[in-house]
Amino acid sequence: MSRALSDKKPMMKGILTDVTKCIGCERCVEACVQVNKLSHDFPAHFKAGDGLSGQRLTSIVKTPGKKSGTWTMVRRQCMHCVEPSCVSACLVGAFVKRPDGPVVYDASKCIGCRYCMLACPFMIPRYEYEEPLPYVRKCKMNEECRVAGGMPACTSICPTGATIFGPREKLIEEARRRIREKPDLYIDHIFGEHEFGGTSVMYISDVPLGAPLRMPTKEEFAKRAVPRMAEGESIPDSIHDWVLVTPFQFLGVFTGLFGTWLFRRRSKLMAEKRRQEMEAAEETEAESGDTVDPMFRIVEPPIDDGEGK
Amino acid sequence: MNTFALKRIKDLFWVLAIAGLVVGVGRFAFGLGASTNMLDSLPWGLWKIFNMIAGAALATSGFVLASVIYILQLDRFRPVARLSIVIGFLGYGSSLTALVFDVGLPHRGWHPLFMWNPHSFLFEVFWCVSCYWSITALELVPIITERFRLNKFTHFMHEIMLPFVILGITLSTMHHSSLGSLFLASPTRLHPLWHTMWLPPEFFLSAMGAGLALIIFVSLACAWLYGRKTDMVILGKLAKVQTVILLIYLVVKVIDLTVHGKWNYVFGADASWESAVFGVEILLQAIGPIAILAVPKLRKQVPWLMVASIAALIGLLMHRLDTGIVGYFRSAGQIYLPNLSEYILSFGVLSAAGLIFFFLVERFPIFDAPEEEGHHDDDEAPHLDGADGPIPVFWSRDEARTVFLGRGGIRAIFITLLIIPVAWLCLKQEATGAFRPIAVPVKATIGLDPLRATLRIDGNRANEAVDFPHDKHKQELGGDASCIKCHHLSLPGDNSTACYMCHGDMGTFTEIFDHDAHQQRHGGDDSCATCHDPDMPESAETAKACIDCHRENMVGIEKQTLKGYSHLAAGYKVAMHGLCITCHRLKEKDPADPLGMGNCQKCHPLNEGSPGEE
Repeated sequence: MSRALSDKKPMMKGILTDVTKCIGCERCVEACVQVNKLSHDFPAHFKAGDGLSGQRLTSIVKTPGKKSGTWTMVRRQCMHCVEPSCVSACLVGAFVKRPDGPVVYDASKCIGCRYCMLACPFMIPRYEYEEPLPYVRKCKMNEECRVAGGMPACTSICPTGATIFGPREKLIEEARRRIREKPDLYIDHIFGEHEFGGTSVMYISDVPLGAPLRMPTKEEFAKRAVPRMAEGESIPDSIHDWVLVTPFQFLGVFTGLFGTWLFRRRSKLMAEKRRQEMEAAEETEAESGDTVDPMFRIVEPPIDDGEGK
Repeated sequence: MNTFALKRIKDLFWVLAIAGLVVGVGRFAFGLGASTNMLDSLPWGLWKIFNMIAGAALATSGFVLASVIYILQLDRFRPVARLSIVIGFLGYGSSLTALVFDVGLPHRGWHPLFMWNPHSFLFEVFWCVSCYWSITALELVPIITERFRLNKFTHFMHEIMLPFVILGITLSTMHHSSLGSLFLASPTRLHPLWHTMWLPPEFFLSAMGAGLALIIFVSLACAWLYGRKTDMVILGKLAKVQTVILLIYLVVKVIDLTVHGKWNYVFGADASWESAVFGVEILLQAIGPIAILAVPKLRKQVPWLMVASIAALIGLLMHRLDTGIVGYFRSAGQIYLPNLSEYILSFGVLSAAGLIFFFLVERFPIFDAPEEEGHHDDDEAPHLDGADGPIPVFWSRDEARTVFLGRGGIRAIFITLLIIPVAWLCLKQEATGAFRPIAVPVKATIGLDPLRATLRIDGNRANEAVDFPHDKHKQELGGDASCIKCHHLSLPGDNSTACYMCHGDMGTFTEIFDHDAHQQRHGGDDSCATCHDPDMPESAETAKACIDCHRENMVGIEKQTLKGYSHLAAGYKVAMHGLCITCHRLKEKDPADPLGMGNCQKCHPLNEGSPGEE
């Protein structure tokens, strides 16, 4: 479990989706569209085919059900990671993980580099490619989409109670209780409890959700040679070592280069001095003085014709 | 010198550069979605990966040679020093120019200066690249001023250069590894062949090798174009250094694959088409050049040197494109291929850099004082040679002017003027095409019921039909007068057009507006003002909404009143849900209603999903 998880746990809110209860009616999508005042979602070549776009912040995707020929409906939305990759990736800090759960995006900072889209393991942020001044769009889960009672509109409208909102800790307890009560129905795993350092949006299911949620299993992590991530390490944690190296790299390379230059310069000057002394001994002529200390000058000697020909 | 080839190359560069400019303007006029093929799942396209990330790697020569010449003070490499500075300056300049078009909101390019996120590798890359580019510009200044015989200033610039040179090299080592670190953030999305925790050192090593390959290539190409003597000894030594670097890269790559247990992705059970791409990449990037350059005899021959450096350059390009684009195909489930505008802008920016390169090489002493003039003073400041002696140009300056802006250039501009409207039209076509609904008509299966008492509807052709009690609805809603409640917009001469005639596709919008018919009916070309505001550009967004005229025929569909969207009919699913469920939800509140059709679960039973989708 990641470090931040234990710190932030008490007050962090999240969403638990029980896909066995989801009937795929898309009323959550409808509510999201209404509360965020989203526009029509036209088909376009750049859309990923999972229903999410600049105008659809949540969607329902299908995955094969337990019985052959049936479908299980899975709601896709921002996972609101505990340690989000987008927050560490954004070069202007437009993404912020709030201690109360949501990962929020500040459009006024964004420069449109789209690194968040590349860095998100769940492929959630979408771009308004159709706009002349495009922004990144993703599920907010903040005050903007809360309805009366403090719940996000998508969870409050769900007719079957498949998707519920609450403190992350309580949601995990509830998920455990459901799995314990119906061990035959559920897979004994809370999707999002530990993956990528834990997410605020979690799922319980009767079928594997690795493919629709883009959430690899432990074996898949290990096969990709990122074994520490199989143990629940987040992406920012996994690249943290390389970030720490950076200032030392700067200082080390700079000092090393300067030292090498100094050393080479010194040996060259000494060789030059020896040559001059020999010349002086021969001609006994003093050379004209130079105002600049020869130590700190780059002198471009002529091309070494001996080497060049 | 090879004037013919030089002229043709410049013609080509002019055409590409101006076409690139047209595409660049089009990108700002129509947006990224219209001018590129970039996807939500593959947000970094050709401009970022090819121009920025691969371009920066190829411009490495500047810092490799700066460290060799200024730090190690190996003076025998000095003849290529200025060439490497120019390549560095133009390489980074063209990369940053391409970024201006790629980034969504380029007018906010200054944001990272004040809004910091030091944890982001892109933040580090931004700072290093912008600082490094400024330093290459600074290094270029003495070369320019020398030409204008500003001796004192040139001398001063040489004096203060050292700290900047060291800073420049430091920044280079940092951002070349950081460009690799960018992709560390995709451990699950990038294919395991390209994602490794060792990306930073691998990017650094491969960039150094490719930078040397580029300087060999440019030296040889300039020697051919300008008829200069090739200094094979220096190039041979550079090639030797390149071989060593590429060998280290290859060894690191092999150890990487072994330590992380990824050989199964290359040869074993998990081999796929990516393995073949990876194999070709490694062959061109490292194994091929090493095999050629490791033989001292081949290293001294121009054709072999050329082949090796071109292979190394293509290999480097493949490595960057694979890491940034191709490696993401499998996880994205989509494939990104750049469209014509992206290619034109990419190569247009590079061509513009090439034209500036020719300009600098022809007007300024880039190749140092030519040896045949034999102008060597063994005094304290031999770098002022060019200023004291004749200005080193390699042929008469009149000829240079002819080549650069003479008939060749004017012809190229003329050709390009013809290209502009064509390119613009292509762009506009793509701009509108990007959002054109793809209509796949779905035929409703009407039961064999001539009186239409019951309709058998199979909206999505899944062989699962619903019997729709048409008569019953008619009676309940009020007899013959109630048709209009559901048949909200009928075709001319029809009273009850079937739903599927307009809602032709299950999921997506269908274009239903017949522009030609409306135009003819209202009097041809003079009638635009009937629907379009004459002061606005004529488009669907600015036209009158359908309901403004067809008020009587369009009832009960508030969504269709939305201005700008009324030429589109919603998908079948959305339309049927909107019409039926809106009504049934009102009914649901009526305790006498036994059906409960407003309740989602009535049709979408629990744990079975939506009935018969797909």
